[in-house]
Amino acid sequence: MNTVSVNENPFGRKLVLACLLPILLVNIVAFMVPVLNLAAMSFRAASSTGSLEEGITVSTWLGLFGDGYYWSMVGRTVWFGILITIITLLLSYPLALFVSRREGSLKAFLVVVCISPLLISAVVRTYGWMVILGDQGVLPSLIRASGFTPPRLINNETGVIIGMVEILMPYMILSLLSGFGKLDATLEQAAGTLGARPFTVFRRVVLPLSLPGILLGCLLCFVLAVSSFITPKMLAGGRVSLLATEIYDQAIVTLNWPLAACLSVLILVVFGAALVLYGRLSKIVE
Amino acid sequence: MIRGSMMLQGLIRTFQLLAIAAILAFLLAPVLLVFPISFSADAYVSWPPSGWSTKWYVALLENDEMLEAFRNSFLLALYVTVLTLLIATPAAVALARSTFVGRDTLISIFTAPLLLPSIVLGLAILIIFVGQGLVGTWPGMILGHLVITLPYALRVLLTGLGTLPMFVEDAAGTLGAHPLTVFRRITLPLMTPALVATGALSFIVSFDEVVISLFIAGTQLKLLPVSLYHYVESRTDPLVAAVSAIMVLGTLLIVLIMERAMGLRRTVAK
Amino acid sequence: MYLKVDSLEKRYGAFDPSVSNLSFSLAQGELLGLLGPSGCGKTTTLRMISGMVAATSGRILVGGHDVTGLPTYRRNMGVMFQSYALFPHMTVAENVAFGLEMRKHSKHEIAKRVESALAMVRLNGVGDRKPRQLSGGQQQRVALARALVFEPDILLLDEPLSNLDAKLRDDMRNEIREIQQRLRMTTIFVTHDQTEAMAICDRIVVMNKGRLEQIGTPHEIYETPATPMVADFVGRINRLKGTWRSDGAIDINGSMTIRASRPGARGAPVLVMVRPHRIGLVASGSAIPSAEHENVLAGTIRQVTYIGDTLQYSVEAAGARILVEKATTSAGDPFQSGAEVLLHWSEQDTLTFAADGER
Repeated sequence: MNTVSVNENPFGRKLVLACLLPILLVNIVAFMVPVLNLAAMSFRAASSTGSLEEGITVSTWLGLFGDGYYWSMVGRTVWFGILITIITLLLSYPLALFVSRREGSLKAFLVVVCISPLLISAVVRTYGWMVILGDQGVLPSLIRASGFTPPRLINNETGVIIGMVEILMPYMILSLLSGFGKLDATLEQAAGTLGARPFTVFRRVVLPLSLPGILLGCLLCFVLAVSSFITPKMLAGGRVSLLATEIYDQAIVTLNWPLAACLSVLILVVFGAALVLYGRLSKIVE
Repeated sequence: MIRGSMMLQGLIRTFQLLAIAAILAFLLAPVLLVFPISFSADAYVSWPPSGWSTKWYVALLENDEMLEAFRNSFLLALYVTVLTLLIATPAAVALARSTFVGRDTLISIFTAPLLLPSIVLGLAILIIFVGQGLVGTWPGMILGHLVITLPYALRVLLTGLGTLPMFVEDAAGTLGAHPLTVFRRITLPLMTPALVATGALSFIVSFDEVVISLFIAGTQLKLLPVSLYHYVESRTDPLVAAVSAIMVLGTLLIVLIMERAMGLRRTVAK
Repeated sequence: MYLKVDSLEKRYGAFDPSVSNLSFSLAQGELLGLLGPSGCGKTTTLRMISGMVAATSGRILVGGHDVTGLPTYRRNMGVMFQSYALFPHMTVAENVAFGLEMRKHSKHEIAKRVESALAMVRLNGVGDRKPRQLSGGQQQRVALARALVFEPDILLLDEPLSNLDAKLRDDMRNEIREIQQRLRMTTIFVTHDQTEAMAICDRIVVMNKGRLEQIGTPHEIYETPATPMVADFVGRINRLKGTWRSDGAIDINGSMTIRASRPGARGAPVLVMVRPHRIGLVASGSAIPSAEHENVLAGTIRQVTYIGDTLQYSVEAAGARILVEKATTSAGDPFQSGAEVLLHWSEQDTLTFAADGER
């Protein structure tokens, strides 16, 4: 980085560079080069045997755009992302509000309980859902025991949505909690003393003040939902194809790297669109 | 009239509490239910289990592939954690304690891998690693995990350095300590909580990482999350529940370490 | 002169300099105050002298040697920080020993000197405690002991008293002065509190907006302030705007005439300043003692404020409000609001400044 000009630091320019060199190397070798290479890969084409053809071409991109299968997959992925985000928000909001209103060690405990699933392997948590939703699983058994016929909850879209919502809830709660940080309980009391009924207080005071946290949580959840791959793969049993699962299949099973690269760029485009929307909405909220 | 509205309020309150409890149960259900299932005596997952036994834990101890995967994942997480601390600590100190043009840009670049979907990152690394013969090798795995753990570590350490008491490093300088002595005697001891939190986070992130590992571990190098994923693809017996239960308990330990060191919320969020 | 600061300047980027063209010097054993409002550059100056901040230009000389390019750890200056900056992970004794350790003294020597340093600040017996187990005043003494124990060439104190409560502040102030005089330690004392600076400093540098306004003894600063800013900063003062007349008196609003000891150029605008407690107050019609050197003004008391040791009168005279302060007595309040009075003060107490700020 020739932009690094050190002035007035106690370590001296060489020491600073020496400290930053290892992380810079890892970043270049295992992040920047691979990502740029991936972008370049989308302008190559794979032969039917999986080997790369010579030369730069847009034929992979053209094939992608010409195939309605991929269009509907992008549409389904975005739709799933939105649906999962909304359900996650609806479930997380009351819980986060409840937690933010506790005090002291109870609050600390609840925060840890709500966030620590984040650190448990997604494979383990998704397996937990297979245990619950599977045909012989906990939920269908309970439904059968009460005399009803359980609907199919796994290896279809329902299972994916249930599992994804639960996986993403800690992220949403975390964002909402940081948003609630600005929400002072005295504000609500003030609104109350001014004669506002509880629901009015919520609508006019609590909700507007927590909007930034809601937006951040939604962005995070949408982005993670769109790019998730383990949970959809495990709970859908290959029956629901989304962008992320398709990337894996193309890369590992079909070995069509150019196509996988194109789909990766496509995911990043969806990301970018979500970010732009987030930026716009944030401005309105401010 | 007033009594009626008070009863209504009480009802609403009860209903609210029940709803909160239900949501909390939903959030924790998959993590908690692996415990009873892991003690199932059945040959496949079913509820309620027809009997209780520890046979799946015994089966786990006899499953060489799982044991090898566990050992590999543990070792990998250990290597990655040590390297993460060695690489991220000097970088964080240099970034936090010096001012130069482009410093914020550098921080953005170093934390950028967190913004990329891991499926994209995994594919990108796979394509490069295949060319270099790094797929399925220890150096390749370590490098692939460092890409993810370093940004986390940098963020936690920068937060930790930002909360150091003011001017103690300057004070040590005025007392005659060379900058390297200041780092060794003052900065390093004071950032110990941040280092512990960073280590715990790096370990769990590496140990749990599945997407990037799926891409670059190949078939030779067995890692626990990858093996579990493949196992579940073909079978649904309670063996995985036993592994899961152990992993949940292990994660709980890590969570406690983080909470004691720096606070879980401050470690996980920025 | 032992410490010499020569045309020191500090710039951050393209902004106005934080400190510019600053020069002053200290004799060995002198206590110099750096006084000014917050943001005036006094702390930046102290950090440049200690080497924590690099000077953009200018020189710093200690005992004739240029130290401007030396890093902090080679300057041998003791610094006491506003927040004390004690090392929280070390005991009190380890904190004090740190500077000696860096200078590679023997264990025995270190132990001996730490003990006597703690005794000097009357903290015997707390060596094994951690800083957070001490009160604010005690932490401050540890910081002082730590800054002095390695016998620095110069002691730099950055707002050392601002984190203490009022009562403790006076005690600590006097204690610092006593130790400084006993050790004949060349010391710079940064503060925004003029009382503090007046009370213990040999000389004071008043700074404003990065520049030196005046340097002098506390008496000079208070009695003959070089600029209105200095006059204003070191104590409450009345301000009146007027014009010099040809007879050497000053005309205010055409309704008031004031004489000063040193007349200015005819027709020039002038700023007149008088300290409230230098103004005498008598009932209307009374005789004024030694009236030929006094400015006398008739007025009406509009407001009386009792603040324990003083009474503040707001007097309306010749279309202006003039603040007068009088020591209280047990006899009670001699004037009520609405009383007709005569104000009088001597020509010597009439400070005049050209309206652009120069005396």
